[in-house]
Amino acid sequence: MRLGIFLVPVLILLAATAWAAEVETIGIIKNLQEPAAIVRDQQTLPAQVGLKLIKSDILRTGPNGRIGVILRDDTLLSLGPNSEIAFAEFVFSPAEGKLSLVTRMIKGTAAYLSGQIGRLSPRSVRFETPVATMGIRGTMFVVKIEDNLP
Amino acid sequence: MRTHWVGLLLLLLLVGLLGSCAAPKTPVVSAPPPPPPPPQGVFVLLPDPDGKVGQIEISNPSGSQVLSVAGQATTVAKADAPPSAPVKMSDPEIAGIFGPALGALPPPPLRFTLFFESDSVELTPDSKKLLPQVIEAIKERRAVDTSVVGHSDTAGSKEYNYRLSRRRAEAVARLLVAGGVAPDLLEITSHGKDNPVVPTGDNVSEPRNRRVEVTVR
Repeated sequence: MRLGIFLVPVLILLAATAWAAEVETIGIIKNLQEPAAIVRDQQTLPAQVGLKLIKSDILRTGPNGRIGVILRDDTLLSLGPNSEIAFAEFVFSPAEGKLSLVTRMIKGTAAYLSGQIGRLSPRSVRFETPVATMGIRGTMFVVKIEDNLP
Repeated sequence: MRTHWVGLLLLLLLVGLLGSCAAPKTPVVSAPPPPPPPPQGVFVLLPDPDGKVGQIEISNPSGSQVLSVAGQATTVAKADAPPSAPVKMSDPEIAGIFGPALGALPPPPLRFTLFFESDSVELTPDSKKLLPQVIEAIKERRAVDTSVVGHSDTAGSKEYNYRLSRRRAEAVARLLVAGGVAPDLLEITSHGKDNPVVPTGDNVSEPRNRRVEVTVR
């Protein structure tokens, strides 16, 4: 009987830990025009509306492809054709004072509307590109990066 | 991961450079000079959907440029060139380059705020009336994701308020599910007293901070 009582909280703790160990969703795909893909763990998955994104995902569009995503802090991000973007950091835990959003654009065209992390901590938001890095103060912008491949 | 990314970037830049060095056979009749290569990067500030204009700062080791007027752009010829002085881009120009990306930007999320009585998970009477609208919006938008975030005012300790906010969020989630919303759409979190809508000092009772924000994406 004593062992039984002890087991229940242990099981709950184990379950909670296992759930917490799952890789955290950082956002979700809302808009899509093919060809568009997500590269995850070196595998290429076709992009789908409703697909949940994780931090290591690379978003990629082909000719005439587009992707629109919304992140957990309400940041809106989209890609035009022949574009590629990734996330170097995404942490959104205001209760723990942990805020960080670093986006890494590799090529193509993108539109961006800053969300809550930018509102709560502008210094924690950066948008990196091969030619320059952007600091953002709660706002909307678009970026084009030339594709250097011949 | 970081090393690989830098490696890939250097490779891309190198390939770009090599590509441009390969010279075609010179024709007997001299051709007009080739147009200058496009800048490697173009950055344009736009107004928010509600018309507000923020600020962006574009920097690299060679220089820095701040944009604070909507429609202003800066170009960066290459990684070791400083960002240019701001130039105005017309709306047709912006649409021409960025139309597809802008068209794919999702609509801003719909946010509903539900308020609570002090030190309670009981909704205020006005917020109880708002609940059916929230449920309707989730269904109508075919939301792919809805967050339910509990908040508190700064009265009380951090831990107490974290737990109270969490219970508030869970109470709202139960009401939404009872109204027909699929539970797996909902992400329930608590920000405790650390994300007030009305900034106050510590230990201040503020009804506008005692809330759950339901964000429909």
